[in-house]
Amino acid sequence: MSAAAPTSPLERGTKSSRTLAWVLLAVGLVWTLVPLVWMLSSSLKSKADVTSGTPKFLFAPTLDNYRNLFSGANDLTPYLTHSILAGGVSAVLAVALGALAGYGLSRTRMRGRRHLSFWIISTRMAPIAAVVLPLFLIFRQLDLIDSVFGLVLAYLTFDLPFAIWLMSAFFADVPPSLEESALVAGCSRWQAFYRVVLPLTKAGLVTTFVLCLVFAWNDYAFALVFSGPNSQTLPIAASQLVTQTGIDWGQLCAIGTFVVVPMMLAGLAVRRWLVTGLTLGAVTGE
Amino acid sequence: MSDTLTDVSEKSASRTGRRQPRLAFEGRLMAPGVILLAALSIVPFLAIIWMNFSQVRLLGGVATSWVGLDNWARFFSDLDMAANWLRTGAFFVLTVGLEMVGGVVLALCLWRVVRGRNLVLSLLLLPMFVAPVVVGLLGRFLTDSTFGLYAWLLRGTGYTGDILGGKYSAFAAVVAMDVWEWTPLIALITLAGLSSVPLSVREAASIDGASGAQSLRHIVLPSISNVLLVALLIRSMDAIRYFDIIWVTTNGGPADATKTVPVRLYETAFRFFDLGYAATIGLVMLAVSIAIARIFVRLLDQKGLTR
Repeated sequence: MSAAAPTSPLERGTKSSRTLAWVLLAVGLVWTLVPLVWMLSSSLKSKADVTSGTPKFLFAPTLDNYRNLFSGANDLTPYLTHSILAGGVSAVLAVALGALAGYGLSRTRMRGRRHLSFWIISTRMAPIAAVVLPLFLIFRQLDLIDSVFGLVLAYLTFDLPFAIWLMSAFFADVPPSLEESALVAGCSRWQAFYRVVLPLTKAGLVTTFVLCLVFAWNDYAFALVFSGPNSQTLPIAASQLVTQTGIDWGQLCAIGTFVVVPMMLAGLAVRRWLVTGLTLGAVTGE
Repeated sequence: MSDTLTDVSEKSASRTGRRQPRLAFEGRLMAPGVILLAALSIVPFLAIIWMNFSQVRLLGGVATSWVGLDNWARFFSDLDMAANWLRTGAFFVLTVGLEMVGGVVLALCLWRVVRGRNLVLSLLLLPMFVAPVVVGLLGRFLTDSTFGLYAWLLRGTGYTGDILGGKYSAFAAVVAMDVWEWTPLIALITLAGLSSVPLSVREAASIDGASGAQSLRHIVLPSISNVLLVALLIRSMDAIRYFDIIWVTTNGGPADATKTVPVRLYETAFRFFDLGYAATIGLVMLAVSIAIARIFVRLLDQKGLTR
């Protein structure tokens, strides 16, 4: 995927085909970026400019919408705290347990390994709605509704299988001979794993963490059912701005920008490994 | 437990010849994650099976009463349910189809251009990281009949209706939102596949006189078919459970025009608190997605793509 690949005349193509490619890409970029640019610009507009009948392309920017996020009756701080805690803790747990289990899975020769991996991946692919339902009853019995810990557990239902499978794909790329020579050099199995193999999968650990964080941070379905005043997250805060009486779209665009930008930056930071990550290692990026 | 595990690994060690018995160590590493995952998946699975034979009441603590196959009888005689499944199928075909076509076209274009590829790719990928709830709300904002940007643009072409208020336009709008969010993923995966097509193969084809279209049809597309398969199946798994955007934008309306199975399940469970029947819907969804996951793993196995 590197851009600086050596190019032959063939790679560059004919002039007209390149022009066509750029035209199509321009269309794709407009389709992709207009909603995002519009959200960003509307978040900087005054109320009158946002609700103007003809769209305002030129306007006097104001930070009022962002300021209002952290003042007044609908202070965003608790939502932000819940999001960071629930998303962060579940991502850290998923990466830690996922690295251990993923390594075991990638190296084991145990019979039934295929069944085990299929079971792991199938829990990831289970429909969210079908998971939410029984968890709701169980959480009610265990008094876990409206707690950040409950959300962490709920997020682990999709983050943990993802992390195990993804880390095992990253570990599979590390040649087993490395551990074998570490063992010969006198390391214990644990030391060989911890000191030799794990540092080689730093990219995998970071990618897994970022993707788990993005999934949990963006979750709406679980938070909608399991959270209450003590655990509501940012997506819930955004959806709560939609009321019967009317929607403060400027404010909504500000929340949207605020929710989305950190995840975009995190996602782009691990772009090189995104293909591996989002296909669970079935396609390697390079 | 550990005895049998060692036993198994010794057998396989003798099969592979040179490996040390490893499972005891590997089993210990796997245990915490696998046990937690089992608790988080098997317990709910048993619960949902039990729920679908019951009527569940939530007032004053959870109480259930056994109703046998009532929920299933209802499921198979529910005409609305059949409509929900048909709609889910239509969503599935439209979103996945449009995303595949759009993603492959974008990837082929990106592959053609060399200068600026990374920047363009990064910009194209941005929608993937947008929370679905924000996609839905932003969609409502853009299509708002009084001040939405897209509604305004459509007025220029003579369309004056309320986009999310019309049956077909609302359906089209939620499809478009999913396509907007996930086409980049297909482009990204396809581009990775394209980059792995050896240059020499294409050069040889070109020397033999293949035109651009011929080379695309006979060299490039066959060599990325595996990658396209992965992309298709990954999107398929997500498309069946497509929920957030619909819930936020139309809530299944207008007149059920966007009510897919997950939306119906949510509504049954958490608006009407009919949890037993919702569990039945959930079990069927689970069965459908496990069937698709099986196909996924089997196809990848055949192509030697799983490890």
